Amino acid sequence: MNKKVLVVDDDADVRSFVVTVLEENGYDPLTAEDGVEGLEMIDQARPDLVILDVLMPRGSGIRLYHRLKTDDTYKEMPVIMFTGIALKSFLKSQKALAEFKGGEVPEPDIYLEKPVEPEELARAVKQKIG
Amino acid sequence: MSANRILIVDDEEIIVRLLSMSLRSDGYETLAAHSGEEGLKVFQESDPDIVVTDIKMPGMDGLELLKKIKELDPDKEVIIVTGHGDIDSTITALQYGASDFINKPVRDEALAIALDRAKEKISIREKLEEYTKNLEEKVAEATREIRRKSDFQQLLIHSSHDAIVAFNSNWEVVVYNPVAARMFDQAPGQVMKRTDIDGLYTEDLAKMMKAKADESLAEGEVTMPWKEMVLETKDNRQVPVRFAASFLHEKGEFVGTVNFFQDLTRIKELERDLVQSERLAAVGQTVSGLAHYVKNILIGLKGGSYVVDVGLQKNDTEKLKTGWNTIKKNIRRVADLTQDLLTYSKERKPEPEACVPNEIVEEVVALVKDVAASKDIKLITELDPALESVVLDPGTLHRCLLNLINNAMDACLEDEDVSKAFAVRITTRKPPGDEIVISVADNGCGMDEETQTQLFTPMFSSKGGKGTGLGLLVTQKLVEEHRGSIQVDTREGQGSEFFIKLPFETADAADINTTEEEM
Repeated sequence: MNKKVLVVDDDADVRSFVVTVLEENGYDPLTAEDGVEGLEMIDQARPDLVILDVLMPRGSGIRLYHRLKTDDTYKEMPVIMFTGIALKSFLKSQKALAEFKGGEVPEPDIYLEKPVEPEELARAVKQKIG
Repeated sequence: MSANRILIVDDEEIIVRLLSMSLRSDGYETLAAHSGEEGLKVFQESDPDIVVTDIKMPGMDGLELLKKIKELDPDKEVIIVTGHGDIDSTITALQYGASDFINKPVRDEALAIALDRAKEKISIREKLEEYTKNLEEKVAEATREIRRKSDFQQLLIHSSHDAIVAFNSNWEVVVYNPVAARMFDQAPGQVMKRTDIDGLYTEDLAKMMKAKADESLAEGEVTMPWKEMVLETKDNRQVPVRFAASFLHEKGEFVGTVNFFQDLTRIKELERDLVQSERLAAVGQTVSGLAHYVKNILIGLKGGSYVVDVGLQKNDTEKLKTGWNTIKKNIRRVADLTQDLLTYSKERKPEPEACVPNEIVEEVVALVKDVAASKDIKLITELDPALESVVLDPGTLHRCLLNLINNAMDACLEDEDVSKAFAVRITTRKPPGDEIVISVADNGCGMDEETQTQLFTPMFSSKGGKGTGLGLLVTQKLVEEHRGSIQVDTREGQGSEFFIKLPFETADAADINTTEEEM
């Protein structure tokens, strides 16, 4: 059975690109348009990997990452950050969130800055879940 | 100084001795002589303060001695001792300038009174001399002070950074400092007392100064406050200056005027430099904001072309469609961005024509209604039926509405409170007068203070890389070029409402425009 990968991005163009890359490389893609929907999908479908955008309405990408990394239920779930903002800005936002909510989060081990070549994305997914 | 030394002259030695004793006991210092000749000698040697002399003496008599003393020192006090009834001698003594007379035999009392009077005269004379001397010193000091002040003023005028030119009542140049010489490019030697206002100023300026002089005389107004103007010189240069003038009156007569010019050339240059550097800074901000936005478009284009490639390889029409739509959408974004940049950077004149604002609102709403529906945002229009065809630039209205409605929808998407039923309300109104009011209100996230203050800053975007930071700026520019105004009313967490007021022309004005264009 193919591994399930959830793409959380508010931009339909990005979703269709990532979905195509995933299909081409033999994964089962799932999609969500924001962080709230993303979390619902995670609970329902239990994906093997989440590809997560940072800048989404209501700051939901920033929050979802923090939630996933501070909640024991999701802690072990592999996450690839796939975003338009620099890592430095993302870490700053996580730090601000940690001050507000508590809970230091680890730096993401795969942080892809858009735009990326399809091969690069495929390689990252493979590195995470094989 | 008190008069203390007294010379007593008498040929009778006993009288000299008696008088000396009496005077010494009164505290005087005495000198003695027994003839006119001896008296003159002692006088020259010892310079007594007062001389008391007998009139009748063998050889040089008292009158002769008096005359000689007065020749030597006209201010010296000489008291004459006369015999009874010697009127002729007394008159002669008076003519020679005797101070006082006492009769023989000399009584101590009479002598004391005469001496007191003489001393008094001396003291008055001394005081007078002192006053006179003081007065002379004071006049000298005042003269020096005036000269100092005048030198100082000369120096001040000479070294002033302002050009200073003064004219007398005949409009001849009487003050003309080096800065003035530079400004008018005429040497002081050619100008000072050689030329008048018509030789230095252009006709217009000279005329204005003369008119102001008359006016100042009539109204008692003696200064023209600083104002900026462009000074035209005789050799046709134009110098930006700050100018002021004072008109001098004396007893209701015009006596002259002083004119001051501050050369603003350098300041104007600095101002231009400043504007230029601000523009460059804005360009820097623009470039980084743009790079961000262009990168986003690039992401879309790259992603889209990959999806198209996959569709082509697999003959998958569905994929082809999706990828192609992504590409088209991003081409659209490039076109919009270019349009925004051009609108922002170029002056554009509105192109008014007859149109129906309510119809334009409907057009724009039709453009965005699919996006709104997909985001669960309700679009509500409240259009004033009284607003019929007016003459304004439909393009301006279209662009502004589209920008504001897109912003309003973004504000709804940013709202934390997802329980709200999001709505964007577009209202048109036609108040009395020649303008229409259009408002776009949302119940989205509203704005915090920082966002409000940066609302019209180029490239400021609260939407991350998804906004160009040009939308509101372009809207504002279009509205202002249309001589309208834009206002915002916002509350954090409750929503924002933007109001645009656009003036419209009357049908007549539009006709004139059309006629002009046809010509």
